[in-house]
Amino acid sequence: MAETQTISAVQEAVVGALGVSEDEAAPDATLMDDLGAESIDLLDILFRIERSTGVKIQASDLSEYMQGGIPDDEFSDENEIISEKGLEQLKKVMPQINEDELRGTLHAENVIKLFTVQNLADMVEQRGGSAGS
Amino acid sequence: MDIVGVGRVERLVTENAGIVDVLFTERERDYCLGKRRAHEHMAGRFAAKEAVLKAFGTGIGQRMRWTDVEIVPGRRGRPEVCLHGEVAAWAKRRGLADIDVSVAHSAGLAVAQALAVWDEEAEDSRRGREHAGAFSSH
Repeated sequence: MAETQTISAVQEAVVGALGVSEDEAAPDATLMDDLGAESIDLLDILFRIERSTGVKIQASDLSEYMQGGIPDDEFSDENEIISEKGLEQLKKVMPQINEDELRGTLHAENVIKLFTVQNLADMVEQRGGSAGS
Repeated sequence: MDIVGVGRVERLVTENAGIVDVLFTERERDYCLGKRRAHEHMAGRFAAKEAVLKAFGTGIGQRMRWTDVEIVPGRRGRPEVCLHGEVAAWAKRRGLADIDVSVAHSAGLAVAQALAVWDEEAEDSRRGREHAGAFSSH
């Protein structure tokens, strides 16, 4: 699937699940903070994406994708603040983040709040590619 | 604590075939579908699962499934929590001693509240091990 098709499919899913306008579902909009998605909405979005693209992503896959296989105790410290190694990983899947602003302050439970429409499209693209290879 | 619109859950399960199996265990499905207002009960159970995960201080984390948190009718109809899979393993590692949940529906909303009781010694021990592990890896 071409990248433009993927971002369109993701935006369509976001619009359908959240009832926001196409303009609001911009690639740089964060799903939770900007668009107000809750976990039930994420489920809805992921099911809609599966229907339109055939790429199956479960809610729990999101955190696994963001963490990139780094063990919990290396991804964040004992207070669940994201480590330097964790920030490096997040920068790979969420290139828009400013790691200098987040260093030493980003709590693990807030990572999902940084995830944008484009980040989700990138994940779908990656999963679609690996499923097809 | 979690609150969810019954209409939102109804739309979710109506528009997404197969999602009921992702969200609910067979026992939960049987319970809800046996009720006259099935979507209300599904909303209550979904809110309860969310409330439990919030009480744990986590969302739906890696390898966790919605069916890992099961809400079943206990004595006198009071809901009880059964943990399975990755969520059960996570709770055990953190020293969960007890978990209690209550659910209510009204005015198109389902509300659930969960209270978790932790064994502090188990949690302190876990933190100590993680901290020691962090130092030893340098």
